[in-house]
Amino acid sequence: MSIIKKENTFAPIVITPPASLELPDFRELWEYRGLLFFLIWRDLKLRFQQTVIGFLWILLQPLILMLIFYVVLGILVKVPTGDIPYHLFFLSAFVVWQFFVQIVNNSSFSLVGNIGVITKSYFPRLVLPLSTIFSGLVDFMVSLIALLFFIAINGNHPIGPRYLLIPVLLILTALFASGVGLLFGALMVIYRDMKNLLGFIMMIWMYASPIMYPASLAPEKYRFLFYINPLTSLIDSYRWVFLRQGELPSIGYLSLSFIVAAIIWFAGAITFRAMENKIVDVM
Amino acid sequence: MTQLALRVENIWKEYRIRHRMEDPQGSFKSILNAPFNRLMGKSGKYTHLEQSEIFIALRDISFNMEVGESVGLIGRNGAGKSTLLKILSRIARPSKGKITLYQRTNSLLEVGTGFNAELSGRENVYLNGSFLGMKTSEINRKFDEIVAFSEIERFIDTPVKYYSSGMYLRLAFSVAVNLTPELLVVDEALAVGDAGFQHKSLAKMKELLGSGATIILVSHNDHAIRDICKRAIWLDKGVIRMDGSSADVVDRYVKFVNGEIS
Repeated sequence: MSIIKKENTFAPIVITPPASLELPDFRELWEYRGLLFFLIWRDLKLRFQQTVIGFLWILLQPLILMLIFYVVLGILVKVPTGDIPYHLFFLSAFVVWQFFVQIVNNSSFSLVGNIGVITKSYFPRLVLPLSTIFSGLVDFMVSLIALLFFIAINGNHPIGPRYLLIPVLLILTALFASGVGLLFGALMVIYRDMKNLLGFIMMIWMYASPIMYPASLAPEKYRFLFYINPLTSLIDSYRWVFLRQGELPSIGYLSLSFIVAAIIWFAGAITFRAMENKIVDVM
Repeated sequence: MTQLALRVENIWKEYRIRHRMEDPQGSFKSILNAPFNRLMGKSGKYTHLEQSEIFIALRDISFNMEVGESVGLIGRNGAGKSTLLKILSRIARPSKGKITLYQRTNSLLEVGTGFNAELSGRENVYLNGSFLGMKTSEINRKFDEIVAFSEIERFIDTPVKYYSSGMYLRLAFSVAVNLTPELLVVDEALAVGDAGFQHKSLAKMKELLGSGATIILVSHNDHAIRDICKRAIWLDKGVIRMDGSSADVVDRYVKFVNGEIS
């Protein structure tokens, strides 16, 4: 009797062949927020297992790279960064890049890397790549401490209300990164070579973004090429917040970036949904 | 009045099989190999197209189940049992047809889905429960019961990697047992471990049936099906060979396996 009563509140689930274009089911994702939470927790727990070392490693990575690039590009090559010390110039963009690349990498492996649970249980597969955003965010916060430390030592760029823009920029960056990661994650299901290619693609992307050098280094007439890469404008905006370099990004520009990032995310999510059905059949 | 628990309408499942799986379409390797293959007189980069074929795992499967019914799916390896199980569990999608689940459904294809050796027993209970579709509040409510059933109270906060395999299985099994599905799709392959374990799992399924749940059991163990299910469906080469009382179907199936009928 109790079952019949319960049934009235249960909407029947219909299983059909996959449509060629399936949008993410946000209502279902919300129902599985518990799983999302435990996936994030698992990731953090596993990485911080040896608390001191885990934490230090996240902190050391950007610092070591900062040191390398400071010596090579700041001291030896003397890349012009205006009135901003090279290490601040580099680190203010590198923490953003790190956040971006971490989400892209982890999302890319979320289907092929979780094949065990995918073939044995049902859940909206999108929770796997989405969970990676939050662990990327934790790493960003740790790196941010290092950056703020150097900014404070330098003393020329006091923390101000500009920092209120950071959450907006982070949402934009995460949306864009997640969209790119979903696309790569989907591609990886059919093209296993993506696994090896991804590292190179991200390395090229990093060198093509004005992280270790300013975009102004390029000749004026080719400079627009940098801005095809959405990361360039994002990095400019972060640099404005951290170092007051350049100009305050306009509301119009930020809204446009948001629309572009959202389009990329949906394109990624649709491709991902097509491949989440395929992966079970090819494995 | 009886109520429908599940309606399966004309389900087909087709797989594209590539005979050279190590050389998937469009991979870097095949692109790089193409000119050499042509030089060597091989048929070039289109070899993969000629070498793929369609394998039909399920052909036009239709059946209904009523609330409280217990159905066993029986058949030889490759008959399509696992494919149907995956489609009913929403892991794979059908190529054609439609399935309607009228009840809250849980699937158990293995014990300990998502278990991680580095995490504690407690954390794994929550992770595994979430993968099985339990809400966090539901796991909270049943947590004590799960731990009591597993008999590893003292070690619940110890990383699972220090567990003996018996403890590991007991904990994983306890989560599964504390699911309260209206419709349970269960793979007999999950009855791993010793005889005591298998006995426990069968007892649990009977208990669920007694409380009015609907069960689909996939098995090639004719005893389990005869024991638990009133009705059985025999799958052979992707089609339903026979659908009827489990005693009749299992009887025919055993004769078929022994070569008495074809």
